[in-house]
Amino acid sequence: MMLDIRAIATLLALPMLLAAASVTEQGVIAFQQGRYVEAGRLLADAVRSDPRDEHARTFLALTRAATGYCTEAMPDLTDRFQKSGNRDLARLAGLALVQCLGAQGDTAQAVTIAGQLEARYPDDADVLYEAARVHMRAFNDATHRMFDKTPASYRVNQLSGEIFETQNKFAEAAAEYRKAIEKNPRALNLHFRLGRAILLESHSPEALAKAQKEFEAELALNAEDAAAEFQIGQILDACGRRDEALGHFRKALELSPDFPEAALAVGRIQVQAKQYAEAIPLLERVVAREPRNETAHYSLMMAYRNSGQMEKARLEQEELRKLQHPPEGEFTDFLKRLGEKAPQQ
Amino acid sequence: MRLLWATLAAALLAATQPGPDFHDIGKEAGLTASFPNGGDKTKAYIIETTGSGVAFIDYDNDGYLDIFVLSGDGGTNRMYHNDRNGHFIDVTAELGLTSSGWAEGVCAGDYDNDGYTDLFVTYWGQNRLYRNVSGKRFEDVTAKAHLTEDRVRYNTGCAFLDYDGDGHLDLFVANYLKFDFATTPKAGSNPYCFYRGMPVNCGPRGLPFDTNLLYHNKGDGTFEDVSERSGIAKANGHYSLAVIAQDVNGDGRPDIYVVGDQTPASLFINQGDGTFSEEAVMRGVAFDENGRELSGMGLTSADYNGDGRIGIFRSDFSDERSLLYRNDGAGQFDDVTMAAGLGHNTRFVNWGCAFLDFDNSGWKGLVVVTGHVYPEVDRQNIDIHFRDRAILYRNTGKGTFEDISERAGPAILARHSARGLAIGDIDNDGTLEILANNQNEPPSLWKQSRPAPGHWLLLTLIGTRSNRSAIGARVTVSAGGHTQVDEVHSGGSYLSQNDLRLHFGLGSAARADSIAVRWPSGQKTVLRDVAADRVVTIAEQP
Repeated sequence: MMLDIRAIATLLALPMLLAAASVTEQGVIAFQQGRYVEAGRLLADAVRSDPRDEHARTFLALTRAATGYCTEAMPDLTDRFQKSGNRDLARLAGLALVQCLGAQGDTAQAVTIAGQLEARYPDDADVLYEAARVHMRAFNDATHRMFDKTPASYRVNQLSGEIFETQNKFAEAAAEYRKAIEKNPRALNLHFRLGRAILLESHSPEALAKAQKEFEAELALNAEDAAAEFQIGQILDACGRRDEALGHFRKALELSPDFPEAALAVGRIQVQAKQYAEAIPLLERVVAREPRNETAHYSLMMAYRNSGQMEKARLEQEELRKLQHPPEGEFTDFLKRLGEKAPQQ
Repeated sequence: MRLLWATLAAALLAATQPGPDFHDIGKEAGLTASFPNGGDKTKAYIIETTGSGVAFIDYDNDGYLDIFVLSGDGGTNRMYHNDRNGHFIDVTAELGLTSSGWAEGVCAGDYDNDGYTDLFVTYWGQNRLYRNVSGKRFEDVTAKAHLTEDRVRYNTGCAFLDYDGDGHLDLFVANYLKFDFATTPKAGSNPYCFYRGMPVNCGPRGLPFDTNLLYHNKGDGTFEDVSERSGIAKANGHYSLAVIAQDVNGDGRPDIYVVGDQTPASLFINQGDGTFSEEAVMRGVAFDENGRELSGMGLTSADYNGDGRIGIFRSDFSDERSLLYRNDGAGQFDDVTMAAGLGHNTRFVNWGCAFLDFDNSGWKGLVVVTGHVYPEVDRQNIDIHFRDRAILYRNTGKGTFEDISERAGPAILARHSARGLAIGDIDNDGTLEILANNQNEPPSLWKQSRPAPGHWLLLTLIGTRSNRSAIGARVTVSAGGHTQVDEVHSGGSYLSQNDLRLHFGLGSAARADSIAVRWPSGQKTVLRDVAADRVVTIAEQP
């Protein structure tokens, strides 16, 4: 199996070579150009002539990893990742190590190394990419094990439903949740997931009614499920039954005092009823707890505005503006915009 | 007590009369030509999705509404003359209106105050101003009027308005984005080119923004681009579509509200000195109640709850709510969508929309036409469709609406991928008709199978000191203890033009106690004890 090491190493290699010996340099260039046989020979020569040549040792291990000789590469990759004083080399070794562990089926260790990499290089796109891949592999492995060892379990249907949801196949997801409920009618969270899948699959009034029944069934199993209370509130609100909805939003907030969506829903309804004395402290608490919550700032801005506190309203507007317009190029903005009109919507 | 009686009377009227029963009479009326607008199974570019508007306009002043329908590339815009016998005759060629290109929006107004209503048509490409020459033909005066654009623009909604009160209609033109076939990425080529996992045409996200335009009418047949000077061009970061010009804060000056696709809406407050200040966020009309920007397509405004203040409804994308904003009278709005019972129709992509009193109850209902932007969505077998039915809401008279789409006649349930919509009374019988532009189909013309039960008035306003079309004139009608307010608008809905006359349902009142007009000039006219069920012409005192 050919590993994707070269692309990661290319950009970093040349500056590091300024102080390197010429055989090492030739070996690294050969590695970058994909001439692995030549790279392996040159870098092995370099290591033989100077076993302390850190660049040569690292790139020899990378070459071995890239050509599928992970077993031979891994001791050096582990050593360089753990001990190298050169931050760039340690990063390269760590990335290659994660790939090798994955290739050898040791997903658990790959997850461990990926976690260490993330801790040391938290903003590194290559590291985050490898971490995402390895976690995905871990998820796949665990899923296969579950399907293999407990095929009749309700958990198989539950997980199938969740996977269908990620694929926007909400009808299929709902069918799986129904099977899971049939197998284990007392299991928590199944009715909730079913209710959500129904809502995501259809916008009809009938779907709202069906989903409401599922959330109510979830509450019958767990009367303290704040999320189910909230969902019922949202359905009633969408049906124009705002007074009843308010009761459920309040209940959700009572069950989970830090539930921001519930607090915002209660606050907004209070603002519409001109109950500013109750609404504003509630909304202020949400903003204090979640200073990056745009909805919270907007709701508070409207509450201040409607109650005549224009200066405070303008401050909230400014906070909202900052959140909605992060500095150009900020990655969070990119992610946020990716989310707009994305398949999940 | 009178208000209570009026409400009770309206409720009784509604309870005893059958509901509306809309039928599509377009084909039998002569609207048989199809209007191309890009692909029907797939759309490669965003230009194919936005579609085109329609207009009800009485171009020859014979007192009967004619029909103007815009076309996408591959067809021509068409004007149909109303023969007063239920037929519309295609008079496009003889009026000089044969055209080509991607027509988007239309707005009407008498920009030269000669007594004949002119037309402005927006394009991806060069907009066109058509001067109405005595109701006999239209002359393309774009270049003469200094409205030639220096580059290709994706112009969308438009509205005539007299923002400086000089009696000459100025012109606002919304711009969607910067688009050209050569540089726009292909379907599926980046994250902005997917919908529900399917590769689809790219945009609007990922495509460059453009700015809106404001032209000042110099009164000599020419316009001057004042977009920069007026502050209109300062607002960037919007994919603007529909526009409506109206006085939102009661200061007698027209303001401008523009909805944007996937971007916040803009509200330009007229400062009275030739400039505008963009204040949509603080005034509560930029976002939904969560502070989230939606994909605004169309908009309409009305005194829907009888408080004398003009609220706004905007039509939005699927998986979003179309929003109703209540106006506090000072131009501050609250999103009352949920409280008004408008929160449940989230499966449609909504376009042309209009408040209309279809039963003459004195309370304006609401019609919305729909249709998804991606024909590919039909492959998903979900409840979102490229061609879909319309939505009709009845106004309960209590600030809420009831969805009566399923029992309002076959026309409402017929599936089209509609865009533009306009309302008007084609036969002056007091019962409103609805006109819609359907992508790659003939337009729909919906008529009720029986007259609306209540009494009514249709008001034709003629400005003298004010602009001749009386655009911006605000009318207050009191009848049977119920007071309604409306304003003469150019543009609105989705890139479309409603009848410039104002229609008022009066419920069981056979007479209006008073009709008060506040003209754009500031002058006021009051008529008292006016008999209902007729067209009334009101001219401003010279």
